[in-house]
Parts: sequence; structure tokens; C-alpha cells
Amino acid sequence: MPIVVNLDVMMAKRKMSLNELSEKVGLTLANLSILKTGKAKAIRFSTLEAICKVLECQPADILEFVKE
Amino acid sequence: MSFKPDITFKILYIVSWIIFVGLSIDAGGFISNTIFTLFINPNGASKFWPGLNLSGLYQFNQSHFVTLTVLMNIVAVLKAILFYLIVHIFHKKKLNLSSPFNASLGKYIFLLAYLCIGIGLFSGWANNFTLWIIKQGVSVPTIQDLKIGGADVWFFMGFTLFIFAKIFDKGIALQTENELTV
Repeated sequence: MPIVVNLDVMMAKRKMSLNELSEKVGLTLANLSILKTGKAKAIRFSTLEAICKVLECQPADILEFVKE
Repeated sequence: MSFKPDITFKILYIVSWIIFVGLSIDAGGFISNTIFTLFINPNGASKFWPGLNLSGLYQFNQSHFVTLTVLMNIVAVLKAILFYLIVHIFHKKKLNLSSPFNASLGKYIFLLAYLCIGIGLFSGWANNFTLWIIKQGVSVPTIQDLKIGGADVWFFMGFTLFIFAKIFDKGIALQTENELTV
């Protein structure tokens, strides 16, 4: 898929673990893992909002379009 | 959320088993009687199956007898396989009611559709062959007695199942997308 999820990069910049992010965002570890590994087919605005709020970043920092 | 199979599913499971056993007996009987008539005792054609006397056809032409019995065997075996698959769906718990749109059940529905179309195809062929034999003046039991009737119905059912399988496939894709939405 040409949309790349850079969640792991942002998590590393903020030195935040998946468990911590999961607790703060209110998402299950399984769902966060799906998002992190790029297996997700879609992301809700509410989820994106929560992640951006916790990681103090913009949606573009998490999602990136890469031509195939 | 968990769903318990209700009484309807249990009844369907039991009925499927009964039909599967009946069809297996039919298929096994046809195959063994064909072999018995061809290789052991030609008189077997007169008592091929309860209500089935194929001695006229056997005496008319042995290769025609082989063609018709092989077609009957194929139809009987396909019917037995069809119900084996249905029993398998119930038995192997492929029918997960909490998540009914799963890929394995979708595959089964496609297989059932192909089998129904196959049964329709061979039944139709056997039907036409029987009609041709009757035109030659040979006395042959009715198509219902030969258990090769209803070719059009099998075709209709097969195509209907095929359409359902396609819709089911779309349902699976939608469910997968829902599950992968975070």
C-alpha cells in the first residue's frame, strides 16, 4: 500500500513504548500493533486525533504517501 | 459476543447426516452393482437397484449400459460429496456464528455451487442420453428412477449459490476491512 505508517518513528522520537501509547490513547495493543505494522486498512479520525494528541505531532508525521 | 447454535442448526445437522448416509449408500450401491454386472454376473442388470431394471439396455448395447451407469455413478458420487461438504461445515465448526463471514466458509459455498453445477451438467447429459436410448426403442426405467432427474433445478441452484458465494465474498472483504480499521 502506498500509505506508510510511521508510528514507530514517532514513538521512538517521543521515547514511548507501545504499552504506554496504548494506555494513553485507549486503544488495545492488538489494534495498535495492526496500525504499527501497516496491516490496517483504515484509521478513524478519532484514533488519529488521540494518537496525535498523545505524541504531540501532526497526522502527516504518522502517515506518509510513498509512490510505488 | 458468543452465539450458541439453536435447535434449527442441530436439526439441519442431523438431517444433513441422514441425507449424506442415504446418498452414500446410493453411490456405493451403484458403483458396486456396475462392477458386479460388468465383471461378475450380467444378470445383475435386471436387479440393478430396487425398481431399476437395466437388463434391456444391457442386452441392447453393453457400451451404452456402461455410459449410462457411469453417468449415474458420477451424479450419485457428486451428490454424496455435496452433502459430505455440508456435514463437514457443521462438524468441523466452520460455521462460526459469531463471525459467519469467514474465508473458509466462503470457499465451501463456492465448492457447493460448483458441485451443484457439476451435478446439473452430468444429470442433463444422462437425461439426454436416456431420452436418446428410449428413442432407439429400448425399455429403460424413468429418469426419476435412474436418479438423474432435475438437471435444470441443479443448474438453477448452482448458479443461485454462485451468486450468493460472490455476495458472501464481498461480505468477507467488508468484515476484514472492519476488523482492520483502528
